[in-house]
Amino acid sequence: MIDVLDLVYEYPSVRALKGISLHVAPQTITALVGPNGAGKTTLLRCLAALELPYSGRVTIAGFDTREAPRDIHARLGYLPDFYGLYDALSVRRVLIYAARSHGIAPALAGAAVEKAAERVGLLNRLEAKAGELSRGLRQRLAIAQAIVHEPRVLLLDEPAAGLDPQARRDLSALLLTLKDAGMTLVVSSHILAELEDYCSEMIIIEDGLIIGGKAVKVRDVERPRYMLEIATARSDLREFLAGRAGLDVIEADDHHALITHTKNAAARARLIRDLLAAGFEVSSFGESTKALEEAYFRQVGHGR
Amino acid sequence: MNAEFQRNLWLELTARRMFVMTVVLALIFFAAALTDGTVSGPGSVARWLYYAIVVIWGTRNAALGVVGEIRDRTWDGQRLSSLGADTMALGKLFGSTSYNWFGGAICLIVILADLLGTRGPFVALIDLVYYLAIGVIGQAAALLASLLAARRRQLHSRFDVFVYQAVGIFAAVAVYLVWAVADPASSIFAHKAATDYIIWWGQPLAARGFLLLSLAIFAAWMLIGCYRQMRLELMMRNGPFVWLGFLLFVGVYVAGFDAWLSSNHTLMHLDAVARRLLLAGTTLALLAYLMAFLEPKDSVQYRWLGGAFAKLRIGPALMRLQGWMMAYLAALGVGIVLFFWLGRTSTPSDQAMLCAMLGFLTRDMALIVMGSLLSRVHGSDFAAAAVLFVLYVLLPAIVKGLNLEAAQMFFFPWASEPSWLSPVVAWGEAALAVAITIGRVVLPEQHADAQTAGA
Repeated sequence: MIDVLDLVYEYPSVRALKGISLHVAPQTITALVGPNGAGKTTLLRCLAALELPYSGRVTIAGFDTREAPRDIHARLGYLPDFYGLYDALSVRRVLIYAARSHGIAPALAGAAVEKAAERVGLLNRLEAKAGELSRGLRQRLAIAQAIVHEPRVLLLDEPAAGLDPQARRDLSALLLTLKDAGMTLVVSSHILAELEDYCSEMIIIEDGLIIGGKAVKVRDVERPRYMLEIATARSDLREFLAGRAGLDVIEADDHHALITHTKNAAARARLIRDLLAAGFEVSSFGESTKALEEAYFRQVGHGR
Repeated sequence: MNAEFQRNLWLELTARRMFVMTVVLALIFFAAALTDGTVSGPGSVARWLYYAIVVIWGTRNAALGVVGEIRDRTWDGQRLSSLGADTMALGKLFGSTSYNWFGGAICLIVILADLLGTRGPFVALIDLVYYLAIGVIGQAAALLASLLAARRRQLHSRFDVFVYQAVGIFAAVAVYLVWAVADPASSIFAHKAATDYIIWWGQPLAARGFLLLSLAIFAAWMLIGCYRQMRLELMMRNGPFVWLGFLLFVGVYVAGFDAWLSSNHTLMHLDAVARRLLLAGTTLALLAYLMAFLEPKDSVQYRWLGGAFAKLRIGPALMRLQGWMMAYLAALGVGIVLFFWLGRTSTPSDQAMLCAMLGFLTRDMALIVMGSLLSRVHGSDFAAAAVLFVLYVLLPAIVKGLNLEAAQMFFFPWASEPSWLSPVVAWGEAALAVAITIGRVVLPEQHADAQTAGA
């Protein structure tokens, strides 16, 4: 869905992107992580066809940003890190304008607005003024603006910045819903914890370059990572697990194992039963919640 | 309805604001009617109110049409919309000023009623076109200035907005003064009789008709300018031909007024062709200066452009030529033609003076670009403006004070002895300025390449 080839972007005094190449598959959520000033926002703006690269090529849904920027704009939703809203307008009018300005016919705009508002939980606030909304609700409205035309690609720059824990959880659920609806999402952040819940791929960018040269697969929704812990050390833990069908061992020692396994609950129950039957004293078994963080530090460690 | 226009109407034309405007204007006209004969009648008051509401206030709102979006961080969202450049430009131009046009329409009704009663329907119709044109030209000029500034990605302070508004007001004042030449009711040139005929390309033309047509054409060019700048903001590319067409139009239009130069003591020895070429070339050079100051000067873009020409990618390179570059090349082209024409019809000293003018034009273009690239505040033209002030005003005044008048040829075109010295000095300075500017553009690329290689 997104292909970048040898992208170079320069500001007058600094080269911000130094030859980036990447591929983002359709219907995935890719995290774009890295320290402040690494080039995340510049890369997102190049992907959004808001900035033209000095050299290199960016294609979104088959359209080149240099040749067909408006075709890309029509298929894209973008939430910048610092966004603005028309505070004097009602939520409904803000969204009607967003829908109409994205080419939705007047007769269909109302339905598109209601669908977007429902997705972000603003259906009961359509008549409220945008300027009267709380920060969390404004964030939802900004996202609704970006998705009202059902874009194929959604770029979000620090979408959870300043949100409270509940709002962050709601955001995670929304992004997964949008992915399931067919969108391809790229989410930039420098806080790994907030990306953990929904990202399946990660691009680490530092000083204008991708660490490791490509995206890293951090999470498979169908085959999540699980951490297994046993109370008494067994040297054959890895061997036992490796011999089972549908299970991959990422790493293991005498006490722990990090595995990928189907998300099917019955299959997991069968695995635990078999472990106990084989004499492994299972003290803990759960989905690993640090996949992104582990992948980040592993990758950054390799990159250096 | 145009979505951008509608959004502006939602914000601007609320029932309360319309009510307030109507009541306030009605009270003012009522007061004017009561004092008719002692202060001013409603028709006269309506004219000044129209200028205040549509021109002065309207140019500010037009300037804020884009700048306000940038300031409120909604501009990127608009750039990503599916709206065409024409829809966006017209929606902003007439949407952000819709409240002003609402007030202006009330004033126009009073003005027309006054004109119908005093000067008849024909004059009323012509004046209606004039009032609409002055409003559209002023507001479009302000929007155009703000769009050009938007591309420079500068901060937009209140002062910046005032500058864009001033551009609009300046355009409107120019329209007012030009119209006053042929308006018998104008008080500006009251000491002179209104001109009935204008000599253009040797032909006497009815002044009011000629000026009205000129206003309409310049208003159309202004709208085209807004549209093309909006295209650039929406990441679309502009070919060079429309701008070249405008340069051609302006050159031909201005060259037609050569009769005005025939009484000038220093130029009266030139024949009509030379005077026309001089007028066209001077106008193109002024446009080059104007655009060089207004357009963004980005070393990255210049490096890209240089690279494209070096690799003989002429088509893409021509698409990225800036307005000032084309105006400069056009002025240079006209200058070269005039140079050869003067060789047949005039003296070598005239040729030398022209050659020096072209040299200093080249030097100044390089200085403006260099000043912007070297400026500590990115994109600022203050340094270039200061250098030009020093070169054209301060240093010449000093050397003149020291009785070294001949040294003025180092700063601007000056008749030297021998005559070839002045052009040699001018082109020498131009070569130096161009070399330094190119060096300033190229060096950061080598630095960036070294950075990337190091990474």
